[in-house]
Amino acid sequence: MKEEHYISIKTFCERHGVRESFVYSMYEYEILQVEYDEDDGKLHVEDLPLLEKMVRLHNELNINPEGIQAVHHLLSQVESLQQEVTSLKKKLDTLE
Amino acid sequence: MDFIDYYKVLGVDKKASIDEIKKAYRKLARKHHPDLNPNDEEAEKRFKRVNEANEVLSDPEKRKKYDEYGKDWQHAEEFEKAKRSRSQQGRQGDYSGYTYSRSGGSAQDFSDFFESMFGGGGAGFGSRGQRVRFRGQDYNAELQLSLMDVYSTQKQTLTVNGKNIRLTIPAGIEDGQTIKIKGHGGPGVEGGPSGDLYITFSIINNTAFKRDGANLYKTVEIPLVKAVLGGEIQVDTLTGKVKLKVAPGTENGTKVKLKGKGFPKYKKEGQFGDLYLTYTVKMPKNLTPEQKSLFESLEKTNLT
Repeated sequence: MKEEHYISIKTFCERHGVRESFVYSMYEYEILQVEYDEDDGKLHVEDLPLLEKMVRLHNELNINPEGIQAVHHLLSQVESLQQEVTSLKKKLDTLE
Repeated sequence: MDFIDYYKVLGVDKKASIDEIKKAYRKLARKHHPDLNPNDEEAEKRFKRVNEANEVLSDPEKRKKYDEYGKDWQHAEEFEKAKRSRSQQGRQGDYSGYTYSRSGGSAQDFSDFFESMFGGGGAGFGSRGQRVRFRGQDYNAELQLSLMDVYSTQKQTLTVNGKNIRLTIPAGIEDGQTIKIKGHGGPGVEGGPSGDLYITFSIINNTAFKRDGANLYKTVEIPLVKAVLGGEIQVDTLTGKVKLKVAPGTENGTKVKLKGKGFPKYKKEGQFGDLYLTYTVKMPKNLTPEQKSLFESLEKTNLT
């Protein structure tokens, strides 16, 4: 994987005004992956949209990391159910 | 352009304190926040309205102006001045500011009413001096195609925010399917990566076939006599006509599968789904006296 596909956690946190501990807590809760370049943690750019969403939930709605883990889990379920509903609607349409 | 009652939007009294406004806003923001309501455009609209109401009512200067002119905003000289000043300055790059996880940066975050009264800009939701901006905004676009358009792979050029993007649309793409074009969203800020472009396909099916993935479904009428005695019929498929043998004694609702006569399988070149036909036996109407007589003769044979 090319280096340009990673963003250092320090840079991310400076830009977003969040503490690095927040990002590491997202890693601890298995919401995203953290890679290490010697001692510096870095994030894959593919994980940025998800992490930015978590930062918004944290900053804008005052949700703590534990709450974010629960929200993340429930949102995954909601999205999975939405896909299932869409698929079932299509199947129903062919039967009508 | 309609007047917006921001007090009503937040459900607070006109004499509400800043704390009451903040409380009402937080409560509604938690309910309608786009990140908590995936794929819900209505929630996103409600959230933007709540955000806008807070932007005005939590800022003493804006609130004063809003209270003073309120419904007469269209005639207020001050607003015209603000408007002129705004058009001279031009819009700043981060006007819309807030980026939703899968939301387009081109979507306006403030209503025309807000813009006319206060100009472009506005801090956006949850600003507190810090806004989520590093990776560029994701853009959303919708592309409408007919079912026959997506029967074969095709190339199209889309213009998104002034940039031409050459796009290969694989045959068999589904209605509602979204594809991601990496790096074609808004530019990143201060070295951040660009956002992505999400294109959602709306496939209009104006054919006689129903589609479920790569399989197609169609109901075909067969004459009663052919259902009883058997014979040959001609059926339309998506790509032409085929001849089919109908077995004697075919019942109403009989299903027939035409292998490989369905829709192309997405990203599986040369592979096709199946076409399922359901036979509906057509009852003869307006019988001639001779035909009626023949049916009466049949009846006498105790045919069941």
